[in-house]
This record gives sequence, C-alpha cells and structure tokens, in this order.
Amino acid sequence: MAYVATRGGERAIAQSERLYRAELGQIDAARVDTLRKTLPMLIDRVMGEASLYEPDLAALALAQAGGDLYEAVLLLRAWRTTQPRLSIAEPVLQDRLFTHRRISAAFKDIPGGQILGPSLDYAHRLLATDVLRGRPFTPAPVDPAPTPAPACQPSLAAWQKAHGLVADPAPVEVAPDDIPDLTREPLLFPAKRAHTLQSLARADTGGMLALGYSAMRGYGSAHPTVNELRLAEAEVRVRHPRGTVFSAGRVKVSQAEVTSKGKSGLLELGFCATLGWNEVKVISGATLDLNARGAAKGSPVEEEFFLYHTEPVEASGFCIHFKLPHYVTFQSSLDALRGAKAAPAPTKPEQVPA
Amino acid sequence: MFDPRDETAPAFDHARLLDVLARADATRLAALAERLLPELGAVEVVNSRTGLVMLPMRDSVLGTDFHLGEVLVAEAHIRAGGTEGYGMVVGRDLERAMAMAVVDAAASLGQTPEIRAFLHREACELSAADTARLCEIEATRVDMETF
Repeated sequence: MAYVATRGGERAIAQSERLYRAELGQIDAARVDTLRKTLPMLIDRVMGEASLYEPDLAALALAQAGGDLYEAVLLLRAWRTTQPRLSIAEPVLQDRLFTHRRISAAFKDIPGGQILGPSLDYAHRLLATDVLRGRPFTPAPVDPAPTPAPACQPSLAAWQKAHGLVADPAPVEVAPDDIPDLTREPLLFPAKRAHTLQSLARADTGGMLALGYSAMRGYGSAHPTVNELRLAEAEVRVRHPRGTVFSAGRVKVSQAEVTSKGKSGLLELGFCATLGWNEVKVISGATLDLNARGAAKGSPVEEEFFLYHTEPVEASGFCIHFKLPHYVTFQSSLDALRGAKAAPAPTKPEQVPA
Repeated sequence: MFDPRDETAPAFDHARLLDVLARADATRLAALAERLLPELGAVEVVNSRTGLVMLPMRDSVLGTDFHLGEVLVAEAHIRAGGTEGYGMVVGRDLERAMAMAVVDAAASLGQTPEIRAFLHREACELSAADTARLCEIEATRVDMETF
C-alpha cells in the first residue's frame, strides 16, 4: 500500500484508549455471565459472524467491545487463530437435527407439521416500560403438551424431491477433509458452492439483510417464499482415537430454504445456514442464493457482489480505516486541485465531429 | 428405576457411553472420575487442551457439504492402566474433558456396576430434559386455517 506512516501521538493514543475503556468500567466474570444468559440472540449473531461457537467467549468479546458488534467479531476471529484445529466433525444432516422450530410459509400441511417453537412472530411489540418503574417483567411459563414433538424431521426439500417438485441432483460425496475451506484458501470466483455457503454462514447479518431485501423488493429475479425455516441443535460428531464416532455435545444452528417458481416448471430453492439462531440472516442468505444463478455482473444478487460486501471483518475494517491518517495521499489530491486552479484556463478543445 | 446393584443391567456400547459422558452433569462426572482414578495408577497425559472442530453441514438443495463454522472444544487424551482414555466436550472446560477421559479409560477395562449406574442415571436425566423440552415445543404446534 502506498500509505506514508505518521509518527508521534503515543500519549494521546494511550489516553484515547483509556477514555474509551473507562466508559465501559471493570469487566468481570459476572458481567460476562449476565450478557451470555440475557442476550442469547446477540451472542448467536456474534458467534455466527465470528464463525466460532463458544458463548462465553462471545459474551466476553461483547463486554470488551462495549457492544460494538464488528469489534466483537474481530476479537473472536483473531482469538480463533490462536487455537489448533483438532478435527473436522461429521457433516450435519437435516434429519438428525434436534429441532426446536420448523415452519413453512409455502406449504401449510408439511410432513411433520408446523412447529412455531420459540418465536415473537405473532407477538405484540410493546415495550415493557413498567420495568423501569420497578415492576419486573416475568414471562408466563409454557403449558407443555402431554406428548413430546418428534426431535428429528427431514428437510422439506427432501419431501419435495421425492414428489418431483424440485430438481434432485445426485449429491457429490466429499470426504470431510476435502471440503473446500475459506479459513485455508481464498474466495475465488466463480465460487465453489461450499465456499459460497461457508461465506454466507459467517457473513454480516445487516449486510445480508440489505442485499437480500433489495432482491425481495425487486432488484433480483426471484421473489422468495420461505420453504422451510428451522432453528435446531446439531450434534458435533467427532472421532475417538479408537475410531468410535460420538457426539461431543450440541450447538445451535439455523437454516432456511426459500423457494420460487422456476422457468423449468420446477420449484427453485435457495439455501443458507449459520451457527446460532439468526432467522433474518438465513432467510436473507437463502434469498441471495436463490437469486444468484445467472445474475448480472455488479447486481446486488450476483455472488461476487454479495459475498465480498458482506464479509464483516473486511467490510467494517475497510470502512473504519478511512479514519486513519491519509494526510499524504490526500495532500497529493489537494496539490493537483491547486495546480489545476493556478494554471491558465485551457484553450477550447477542437471540435471533434460526431 | 435402575438399580445399581443389578449386575444384569446392560452395558453401554462405546459410542453411547461417549455420547452420555460428553453431556453428563459436570459435577457428578468429576466425582466419578475422582473415585475411579486410584484404580488406574499412574496417568500419562497425552493431551489436555482446547481447540477447534470444524463443523460441516449438508446443503439440502444441492447436497453440497460445506463448513458452517468452528466449534471450540476441550480435549483430553490419557494413557493409564494399560489402556487409553479420551474425552472431548463442546466448550472450554478442560476438567470436564479430563474427567470424561478418566471414565472412558476405566470403562474400557470393564463397565463396573458403579460406572453403569452412573451412565444409566445420566442417560435418564438427559433423555428427561430432552423430552421436557420437546413437550414445550409440541405445545407450539400450529394448524392455521386458510380462507
């Protein structure tokens, strides 16, 4: 880069950081614990964008960043690099997810039924201002059903494939070690589907919403309907040294399939999934995936456009770097401007025949 | 109810044993490991560390396997009593992973009634917690009418 370094300012820089941190006060384990317990949706969003599942660390990152999401994601992405990669788990399959919520907006009578799970979709959005007057808000407990819901459900796409409603390409078997991995290789275009989906999984929620919403409003070619939205827990299935495959525990995941009627007479589907529960993100991501095929260069639904512009660390980092001293580079622009002003007015250019 | 003195209670296969240990109550797991440790003699710790496990998922549209993201895990690997033990748990609790490895090593020498009693109790509690959650989830099943 052609930046010219500046020198000095150490005292001011140190005091500036102190001024920022003084506002946040002492960070202790109790604060981190409270954040983790009371803000699960925020923790999930940060873990998804950081591409690192560990709720305590996500809460710590939020505490340290004072709630600045991009700083928190950067802290976690940086910390992640201090850890060794121990293994690659077995691929998570839809019909093995411990399902908390599974709905379809396209099909009313889906096999397994519609399970709302935890949701505010139909809630009144009323601020509980009584809390500020000293009357705590205590949520009413759930009246459990006498029988449990089935823990596992197949994806709706599997049912549609069985009924000839969507294309059913034969899956390509890839050993877990051979799955393309963005943490080890660059994102190149046209992107491998594994790269696209991994990139969407760790993309910035707000950025995905903005670009996905542009497609929903008509700047894409396909209007989405939610085929299946699911919040679930996935088992992390790893291998014992003696070869036994077992689950080391569960992590929250969300996934969405969105659909639109294609030109081929079949339904077309878009897909997105992420670590943590984040519905806006996966619906937006699946909408982008649905619209990406054949999208024009430079359109918001073209994969190079939306993948590059929704990478949270790169995008926020590039944005905030403009705050750093650009005195020398900007000086050259000023010099050119002053030079142009000082120079005698240019003679009228010769008319060129059209 | 499971009776720990019942020698005929079925043993857990290795995968099921590891599944249960990885999600067992941390305090009770540590207590069991403490009780089993003296029988194992000298313990060689091969690994006790945190690290990342990459979690792939299969896309339900085109069937492509892709990486969802990395999960922080605690891992323990020991050699003791002529056998080895291994523990891996989601999170960063190294003591939990080590306790799991100790119980895995002890169980590989024979699932004593004490170990089986522990496994049965933990499996019951995990299953009860899942069922309770699924009953709450079932309460949200909806059947919308269209006009």
